[in-house]
Amino acid sequence: MTPRPGYDPASLIAGVIVIALGGLLLLDQADVLELSAEYLWPALLAAVGGILLACGLVGPPRGRS
Amino acid sequence: MPQPEEPQRRLTRSTTDRLIGGVAGGLGRHLNIDPLAIRITFVILAFAGGIGILAYLMCMIFVPTDDPSAPPQKWGLARTIGAGLLAVAALAILIPDWLWGPQVPLLLVAGAIVYLLVRMLRDDGGTHAGRVAARIAIGIVLVALAAGGFVAAAAGTALGGGIVVAGLVIACGVGLVGGAFRGGARWLIAPALVLALPLGAVAATDLDVRGTWGDRTFHPATATELADGYEMGVGSMKVDMRDVDLPSGRTDLPLEIGMGEIQVLVPEGTCVTTDADVGVGAVNVGNGDQGGIDVDVTDDRYVAPGVPELHVSADVGIGHVVVGDRFLDLDGPGRWRDDFDSLATGTNVAACRGTA
Repeated sequence: MTPRPGYDPASLIAGVIVIALGGLLLLDQADVLELSAEYLWPALLAAVGGILLACGLVGPPRGRS
Repeated sequence: MPQPEEPQRRLTRSTTDRLIGGVAGGLGRHLNIDPLAIRITFVILAFAGGIGILAYLMCMIFVPTDDPSAPPQKWGLARTIGAGLLAVAALAILIPDWLWGPQVPLLLVAGAIVYLLVRMLRDDGGTHAGRVAARIAIGIVLVALAAGGFVAAAAGTALGGGIVVAGLVIACGVGLVGGAFRGGARWLIAPALVLALPLGAVAATDLDVRGTWGDRTFHPATATELADGYEMGVGSMKVDMRDVDLPSGRTDLPLEIGMGEIQVLVPEGTCVTTDADVGVGAVNVGNGDQGGIDVDVTDDRYVAPGVPELHVSADVGIGHVVVGDRFLDLDGPGRWRDDFDSLATGTNVAACRGTA
């Protein structure tokens, strides 16, 4: 049986996704990038989907069965 | 016989009771207050212009950990720069009329309710029905808080605070990554999405509601008054161009509104060209109407030399743009079907060719 790592992969993946999404939105708000709806909506959906997928694949946090 | 002096209790961050940096756990231990109440207070103050986040970061910088194996706290370059950046952030936050400030009393009440309900559940007191009711009440309060945060993030972005909201999203992401190595911090996913989704929605529509709110009708008398155009935050903008004697060549009319409608009234037989950008809504100009998300309409037609041309540049976050020869009752029935024939395309084309 593979031992679980010493960190929570779901939190790590979600954090990376949230940082990437936040960075994208920050660049848009700072007028560095001009993101239109056709790019932003898929990005938001992909972020939410990625987070849900990571949490679903990793399972509940340690300490919870 | 002299009593031994009681050792002074020193404020430290807790390594045993912590969700992020152990600040609330350490403060609770030091002040003999439930750390849960302190955590909720930090969250509430985070909505008071970000003071809660700032205070938490300050505590993480200045308050040492209670871990005896941790190296003694020293003032290094990074810590000095960090404190300086926080001081700058504090000055930026303490500007007047911060948009989330007035909602703090409501959040305080909600926080107190959450605290009492969570305490009731943790203490395992009351009847089974009471605990179920407490869980339902917590759920309702949390949904209400999430909805409030959603609206606040959208409003904050639309009012020009998008950079701050994006910064908070990134802070949540950093907290998630850091928390991943301390047992996980998945609870940060919810506030991150509550902030990011409305921010993305507002960013996608380029919604900016800064400026005048209400219904305004503009009556420019000369073409020179049109150079700077007109700008509003939310409401209805009507621009009556019938008294303007347009000179030969192109006259630009830039118009901008965050949320609402723009109607431009032109004399019959005027050559009008349009460049309209609408985040969510519809555009009706001489060559028909278009609606949906991210609507970009360019009605750029041939204009004969010497013919007076009115070029309307309209930028709307959410709403619609109408250019016609009479104002429309946009609240009436069939508004998207029959009422948009005011600027006859054939007449407009003829006007631009100088044959009207």
